[in-house]
Amino acid sequence: MKNSIIESTNFDFDAVVVGSGISGGWAAKELTEKGLKVLVLERGKPLQHGSGYLGEHAPDWKLPYQGKRPRDLYAQEYKWSSKSGSMNEANRQFWNNDKDNPYADDEGKPFMWARADVVGGRSVLWGRQSYRFSAQDFRANADDGHGIPWPVDYEEIAPWYGYVEKFIGVNGRNEGLPQLPDGELQKPMPWHALEKTIESRLKKKAPDVTLTNARTAILTEDLPGRSACHYCGPCPRGCSTGSYFSSLSSTLPAAKATGNLTIRANSLVEKLEYDPETGKIAKVHVIDTVSGERQTYSARIFFLCASTVGSTQILMNSTSERFPNGLANSSGVLGHYMMDHTIGESGMGLFLDNMDSYFHGNRPTGLYIPRFRNVDGQDPDADFVRGYGFQTYTLRMDWSTGFNAKGFGASLKEDLRKPGPWIFVLSGFTECLPYEDNRMYLSNNKVDRFGIPQVAFDFEFKDNEYKLREDARKQADRLLKAAGAVVPVPAGRKNMSMPGESIHEMGTARMGDDPKQAVLNKYNQAHDVPNLFVTDGSFMTSASCVNPSLTYMAFTARACEYAVKQMAEGHI
Amino acid sequence: MNRREFLQCAAILVSGASASQLGVALTQEQQVYLAAAPDYNQGATRLLNDAQRKTIAAMCEIVIPRTDTPGAIDAGVPRFIELMATDWLNDEERTIFLAGLADLEASVAADYGSSFDELDAAQQLALMEDLEAKASESSWYDFANTRRDFVSDAPFICQLKELTIWGFFTSEKGGTQVLRYNAMPMYFDGDVPLSPDQSSWLTRLE
Repeated sequence: MKNSIIESTNFDFDAVVVGSGISGGWAAKELTEKGLKVLVLERGKPLQHGSGYLGEHAPDWKLPYQGKRPRDLYAQEYKWSSKSGSMNEANRQFWNNDKDNPYADDEGKPFMWARADVVGGRSVLWGRQSYRFSAQDFRANADDGHGIPWPVDYEEIAPWYGYVEKFIGVNGRNEGLPQLPDGELQKPMPWHALEKTIESRLKKKAPDVTLTNARTAILTEDLPGRSACHYCGPCPRGCSTGSYFSSLSSTLPAAKATGNLTIRANSLVEKLEYDPETGKIAKVHVIDTVSGERQTYSARIFFLCASTVGSTQILMNSTSERFPNGLANSSGVLGHYMMDHTIGESGMGLFLDNMDSYFHGNRPTGLYIPRFRNVDGQDPDADFVRGYGFQTYTLRMDWSTGFNAKGFGASLKEDLRKPGPWIFVLSGFTECLPYEDNRMYLSNNKVDRFGIPQVAFDFEFKDNEYKLREDARKQADRLLKAAGAVVPVPAGRKNMSMPGESIHEMGTARMGDDPKQAVLNKYNQAHDVPNLFVTDGSFMTSASCVNPSLTYMAFTARACEYAVKQMAEGHI
Repeated sequence: MNRREFLQCAAILVSGASASQLGVALTQEQQVYLAAAPDYNQGATRLLNDAQRKTIAAMCEIVIPRTDTPGAIDAGVPRFIELMATDWLNDEERTIFLAGLADLEASVAADYGSSFDELDAAQQLALMEDLEAKASESSWYDFANTRRDFVSDAPFICQLKELTIWGFFTSEKGGTQVLRYNAMPMYFDGDVPLSPDQSSWLTRLE
């Protein structure tokens, strides 16, 4: 066996990883720990873990407008970023400026593409809920004929889920449910008294559902270099104790510790250069977003982890004689079969239980009701396939939800000072099927400030997604009544999120065994180009109804092991 | 030892040591940075004249008066309102704000021959209740219409109330002496007894 890794001296690096977010951080960690010299290219600005979190622990009175979001600035420069509720003046520096870095949002159909613009990518800003796909999820396409079958089953990926869960730290409660496989979890965060009241009522009146902790990548037990959560509350401002998982707090420091990591911020990847003689990628073309300088780097292997849309954009922009329709796109499916979860309140309820119980600390996550529809085969009353879960939020009404009351003076002040009733929200996360005509593409006539064609979207939710949301709305009403809400408030009938709003875009370079129908094989390796791997959400063959990031991490780690073995065996 | 005390001790034992090693060092760095950052409501103002400032100050004190705890003026709310009206309100909203203020000043001058701030508190309250009665059809008062940025066509009295209440509870005095604030709670307990004299926490999840 050749020791190919040593022979990479003709290259600038052993591996180039494009993107430093959830997937890129994992690729950097795994590849550097296996001895590869790795260059990570990040489009966004530098961001230092800890000292870069300028808004962390800033009280309202230290923030511009005492925490109110400046609407004019956001409308002019952060049109899409600001559609995320977690963007505000305490963390604006992490987000993409949509004026500087636009996409062709006036073409195709409306689509929200929310981006970070810093080292760490969206791992700094993510929602942190982390669930395994189930065996049923990996079988879903094969079972009901939508999309193509996954080339991987649950048993094959399960050890990788455990591997990443242990490293990132996910707190939660194992429930032994086939639709929500148990994980390697840290101890769960405690519950509000009201949540325990609701749980006991649901056990009696709605035994078909399980109320459990939202499994969340926030520590309840220390890990090396990271502390258990201090419950300050607003995670998306950054966490200098590394209590929530981000690549800045976790994978990039691990990669750095090997001595094998080079990170370049402000480095926008324009394209990958295909060498027809070797049949491999030879170089990556990079633009320095500050100086405008262009540079290339060679490497033995290339990992695209630039987010679903970012990686697909790079592939589409990397044309050659061999690949006139985008790199590694002999199948023609690149950009198609795009998916996004539908999200939003399916219902909420006002509760007057446990009014004399309050809380200490701000628990930065909620509870979860795992999928309960179409779990044991098709439910007889379901006019849809697949299912959804409910993420729940428990809030106590206060001055910020009741400031529009009538009246003045000491009595108003006294009313606004005190906690009001409880609110329990059921937020449906519903699966989206893969459709060929849901796609992203490159605009014919719009380019960015560096001359790179802008991305456009042609994406809509269809019949099954609407039926799932309607069912979630009805079930939420049933569950809120069973839970004892004094005023259940069902969502309106049009409770459909905007495409892209869940920030779970995926599927545009899907994996599958058949090279005619898929861009990637089961190891995230391009069927057409052996030294190219794509491990962000673009590889997803179906969406499940659970948050996808944990799956990106597990597949990334697995792809890295495979790639290094392939290198060691001289295949790439 | 009751349950709450037990949990507090347990939490300190479990998480206190580690977080103090990693967390507090950085927190000191942040404390220095945050201490150097000026409060928002210390910014320079230039939108209103002195007479207008007196009227706004008197009005927000009617909304949130000083009681045994600080009131709107103590918390710097008048300056907050002027700063927000300068560049947070949009043109349409600022026009409503300035016109509403001018109307009130003119009617007080005509009816009382004085300025709003020179009236006694009962007269001021009556005038503001009158403004609220006239505005009562506004969607600003709709149930649960609080999860949004602003109601652009809201009448002056609604703007004034909203900015006063936001400015007050997110100020240092309002947030720490009327509400409760704890930047580093260190543990979460979801079942802590609440007595009637206890206020909400300031922190809202993002």
